[in-house]
Amino acid sequence: MSDVNATTFTIVVALFVLVTGVGFAAARWRRAADMMHLDEWGLGGRGFGTFITWFLLGGDLYTAYTFIAVPALVFGSGSIGFFAVSYTILVFPITLIFLPRLWSVSRVHGYVTPADFIRGRYGSRGLALAAAFTGILALMPYIALQLVGIQAVLQVMGVNAASTNTFLKDLPLIIAFLVLAVFTYVSGLRAPAMIAFIKDTLIYVFVLVAVFYIPTRLGGWGHIFGAAQTHFASVNPKTGKPFGTFIPTSKSVGATQFDFASLALGSAVALFLYPHAVTGTLAAKRRGAVKRNMVYLPTYSVLLMLIALFGYMAVADPATSASIKKAGGNAQLAVPYLFQHMFPSWFTGIAFAGIIIGALVPAAIMSIAAANLFTRNIFKEFFKPEATPRLQTQISQWASLVVKLGALLFAIELPKTFSINLQLLGGIWILQLAPMLIGGLFTRWFHRWALLTGWFAGMIYGTVAAYNVSAPTASHWAGSSDIVFGHSIYIGLTAVIINLVVTVVLTLVMKAARVPEGADETLPHQYTADLEQVAAPAPAGVGLSPASD
Amino acid sequence: MTQPAARARSAVSAHPVTSAAIAIAMAADIFFVLYTPIYSTVTPKVGDWPFFYFYLLIFMPITSVALWLVILLQKRLERSRQDPAAASQESGMRP
Repeated sequence: MSDVNATTFTIVVALFVLVTGVGFAAARWRRAADMMHLDEWGLGGRGFGTFITWFLLGGDLYTAYTFIAVPALVFGSGSIGFFAVSYTILVFPITLIFLPRLWSVSRVHGYVTPADFIRGRYGSRGLALAAAFTGILALMPYIALQLVGIQAVLQVMGVNAASTNTFLKDLPLIIAFLVLAVFTYVSGLRAPAMIAFIKDTLIYVFVLVAVFYIPTRLGGWGHIFGAAQTHFASVNPKTGKPFGTFIPTSKSVGATQFDFASLALGSAVALFLYPHAVTGTLAAKRRGAVKRNMVYLPTYSVLLMLIALFGYMAVADPATSASIKKAGGNAQLAVPYLFQHMFPSWFTGIAFAGIIIGALVPAAIMSIAAANLFTRNIFKEFFKPEATPRLQTQISQWASLVVKLGALLFAIELPKTFSINLQLLGGIWILQLAPMLIGGLFTRWFHRWALLTGWFAGMIYGTVAAYNVSAPTASHWAGSSDIVFGHSIYIGLTAVIINLVVTVVLTLVMKAARVPEGADETLPHQYTADLEQVAAPAPAGVGLSPASD
Repeated sequence: MTQPAARARSAVSAHPVTSAAIAIAMAADIFFVLYTPIYSTVTPKVGDWPFFYFYLLIFMPITSVALWLVILLQKRLERSRQDPAAASQESGMRP
């Protein structure tokens, strides 16, 4: 602990203690008569307005891993990392098309998870199970990566970096996570919603200060862009190829314009298929709050653009580049090192605390979302159909603990690259829900068995294709794009196209064979309903629509 | 005109211009980001910023404004959907 800066460390600890207090206090915020209800614990009472939803979704979607991984990709490969920026622009028009419909139908029927909707729409437990399984599978590594984000910050802070004892080395991480687990158990979704205010304030402050201040230290934007352009055009002696690209190329293979666009499109469609994004959405009180947030949330994308540019600043700053090289070339340390070299230690402390707290908010929401999926679509569906709202809430509380402990083991025991590969796969997997979820919000034409087969085909193709991607530095899992018909393209997109084709063909077959389609408990006008059209829910009937009883 | 589905359709046909404007705003918003050849260039530089990076930066406020307009227009459609009498009045000669 000799090279730990006392000021930085103190500020980080102080802000962490503050957040812990807020996390526990959140249990009393907007208190309801009966808190042992999934609508309360898992969805914060379904009463958040536009303003709170903006903080909640912003805190939910722009995660600590994003703040670490996007600049890391930009630092390592150049322009391709900016697909994340183009994706966070695209996501809002695309999401505006289907998300308000999901909010409305979920509100009418009291759905808590996306799989609840699939169950109600197609009358198929199997399809809902597939959706729940995919959701949990995609969320686990995502939570683990939030820890990887924290680890990157702790490593640069020098906290126990010298210790060879795994347990001691990860002790700060374990403490942070246990605290997170306990206040999520107690306060449910209210905790991350309230902490998101602190997190976002810290992040907006440090990013805005950094983008105005750092360029003055590095000779202006012209020099930063110039240094990046020179660096990515120069040849990497290890691979014999350029380090990266400064602008997506018009070639057909590599970091191409087509690859860039396919990554952006695939990720944009996938974002609101993630269960934690749906959880944040369903917590909104009104349909209008969901819609308006598609207008206000792009503010965070501006922030992400600036954060991505930190990658270029790290390239342009010789001291940062040297530190990263010294740490074995781990590009994930780009942002923490940049801040350490550029700012006085108290400000670095604020920035580091922002990133650490930025990991806690999404990790809490993700674990709640995964827990709800388990409770609603596995436990209640297959083991205890008569589970009361109280029991469902208790199961979710415990499941959220298990999910977080699992993620902790992931992050500590397995090599970091394993989590990263799984998260890459998670994006591909979650995209396979698009036909059943987005499709189902607009049409009942697809057959449930066709959707299930299409989902399976997409999952298999996506997994195998991702495994087979190789690079000079890695024989497998080297990226999220492969080459189809001579063009680099995002695997998730190819997989979902295969998924869709299988679904359409089999739907025609199933309809010709007159295979039963299952009961649909939803009605067309319920997809546009707002709060006024929703009947007050019966006190004991959470999540149980009248039609399914 | 009592079925919800029929009413939804009538709202679109009652306001063809509004509906088209919504569709165009959404499509343009998606297309101009997705079609990368438009902006994958270093020049013209805006100040010190290469065009690629400048384009991505300014497209976010543009998206916000476009979606704000879309939501305003959708409200018009929804109002006529909830009030079919007003919708058929606006559509005038429609049978």
